[in-house]
Amino acid sequence: MMRLTNLRLAGALALVALAGAAQAEPYLAAQMGLKCVQCHVNPTGGGMRTVFGNTFAQTQLAAKRLGAEDDMWTGQVMKFLSVGGNARANYNFTDVPNQESSNDFAVEEARAYLDFGVIPNRLSVYIDQRFAPGNSTNLEANVRYWISENSVYVKAGRMYLPFGYRFEDDNAFVRQLSGINMQAPDEGVEIGFEKGSWSTQFAISNGTAGAPEVDNGKQLTGRTEYVGSAWRVGVSALANDTDAGDRLGAALFGAYRLGPVTLIGEIDHFDDDSIGIDGRKLLASLVEADWKVRQGHNLKLTYEWFEPDSDVDEDEQTRTSLLYEWSPIQFVQLRGGVRFYDGIPQSDLQNRTQAFLQLHGFF
Amino acid sequence: MTIQFNELLPSRRILGLSIVLALASCTAGDGTGLDAGGRPILPGPPTNNDFQQIQDTIFTPICTACHTGANAPQGLRLDAGNSYGLLVNAPSAEVPALLRVNPGNPDASYLVQKIQGNAAVGARMPANGPPFLSQAQIDLVRGWIAAGAPQSAAPADQLIVISSIPAVSEQAAAGLGKLTIIFNGEVDSSLANTNAFALRDANDQLVTLAAVRVPAGRPNVVEISTPQPLAAGSYQLAVLGDGPAPLADQSGHVFDGDADGKPGGDKLIPFDVKTTAKEGSIR
Repeated sequence: MMRLTNLRLAGALALVALAGAAQAEPYLAAQMGLKCVQCHVNPTGGGMRTVFGNTFAQTQLAAKRLGAEDDMWTGQVMKFLSVGGNARANYNFTDVPNQESSNDFAVEEARAYLDFGVIPNRLSVYIDQRFAPGNSTNLEANVRYWISENSVYVKAGRMYLPFGYRFEDDNAFVRQLSGINMQAPDEGVEIGFEKGSWSTQFAISNGTAGAPEVDNGKQLTGRTEYVGSAWRVGVSALANDTDAGDRLGAALFGAYRLGPVTLIGEIDHFDDDSIGIDGRKLLASLVEADWKVRQGHNLKLTYEWFEPDSDVDEDEQTRTSLLYEWSPIQFVQLRGGVRFYDGIPQSDLQNRTQAFLQLHGFF
Repeated sequence: MTIQFNELLPSRRILGLSIVLALASCTAGDGTGLDAGGRPILPGPPTNNDFQQIQDTIFTPICTACHTGANAPQGLRLDAGNSYGLLVNAPSAEVPALLRVNPGNPDASYLVQKIQGNAAVGARMPANGPPFLSQAQIDLVRGWIAAGAPQSAAPADQLIVISSIPAVSEQAAAGLGKLTIIFNGEVDSSLANTNAFALRDANDQLVTLAAVRVPAGRPNVVEISTPQPLAAGSYQLAVLGDGPAPLADQSGHVFDGDADGKPGGDKLIPFDVKTTAKEGSIR
């Protein structure tokens, strides 16, 4: 058994050495020139990490690794069962103009992942359960079957839909505009293709963001991305047929590595007839620069822009964020930053400032 | 001449940086000509008072004979506070393909079809007619819908709960799995999540919420669903007005839970869920 474990470990380390590295957020994948499926059991990213992803977290992401060389966490606790988790504890400060500032300690999230690989590399049952804040809530529960090993899969159940980049920050304008984020899974079926440099997914779902279906219309969501070693580009589309009106969306996204700096961008456009009397056309963009200062240290600068109604002038909003992420040892990340919201002067909330310190533990 | 792909690298770099600079050059609006919600200030009176007139002369005196409380037909409560949120852009229960009120389109509004007597399902309203509504009353409803079904003459400067289903201290029917909160303004949907509400049972234990959403086209309504129907017993829903990102309307007015005229505070909605015949029987 020990020999088998060591062989598996050696294999994973070899993969890391060959590929460079990989991490959980889009900028990490772009930095390394890898697909999401390299580090996550979910081919579209987020949630539980693969053996590769866990190995990377210990050998490449952290500034320093504690423990013996052969004492490597892979997530596999049994032959057919892998586990994982994320916990984020925050100290938040919020300042809204003309209001008293507030600060608090809060658990941003505590989640656990289970992946039952009942037929290795073929059939898995996956569960993503959030335990905090609030009560236990299921975020993902699906069955994933690789029709063609490592290249074509079908997934059914509750899942995050494939659209644009899966940024960690659910409050990013692009994530709020699409309504597809880590708080809003949907129920349906997804088919994906992971061949060569291409990563493509297509899903049909209720289009209710996890709520019970209220009409006969369904949502179609798709995403395809070309992943190169130094750059990548992709497009997404979404069409939701609801009784309240049709909702159509499209996104263009990409990333480019310039030495230690990785640039990421995404533009989303939505034509939403379910809003207001005549419907609205909305636009959001994000551009992010991640500077790998040195191993375990990342400086992130993000600038976002939101146009809530293209027929109305001077209603745009922006959000500028400056964050520093330090991973001193494996599976621990300290994050801190400040976010400046800028909007119309009539709205205090659109001009708030937020700062936070976060202890992030994961495995 | 053959151009190798890598020869394009400098151009690609310039292109990438140009896109980044273009995205980073977009700025916030200065708000000229907009209200606090970022919507254009319309010339003249912002809206009409037709809806209030409809409420006062039709819904309240006529319709609420049946359409009120937990047993309102099709769940449609037409008392003041509930009516707007349950009508405008809300799918009809009898004909889900139609909206009860389709703003701007009276003929495609199920409410109009019901009061005119040409609906595909069910009887003409009011059910105790004749007499039915006069043509002047029907025209008032049609005119209000044709004008876009505005809610009130002036926007509120505080976000408060004006009604809920179940209502405060109501005995809800067994099998309740969805709570509906109706506000006086358009809720910022990005802030409407499970963190903004707390549902506790009689033992003060938190009850899991499956989802919180602002239904499409009904921005002053928040629907809260539970993973399974609530068991019989007493509950209290708290709509939270405190925290780093409390509920707010689209104008940025933070939720005033205790209705003291200042942002903050919780709105408490106690209610009971009735037992089913099976649960209440002696075994």
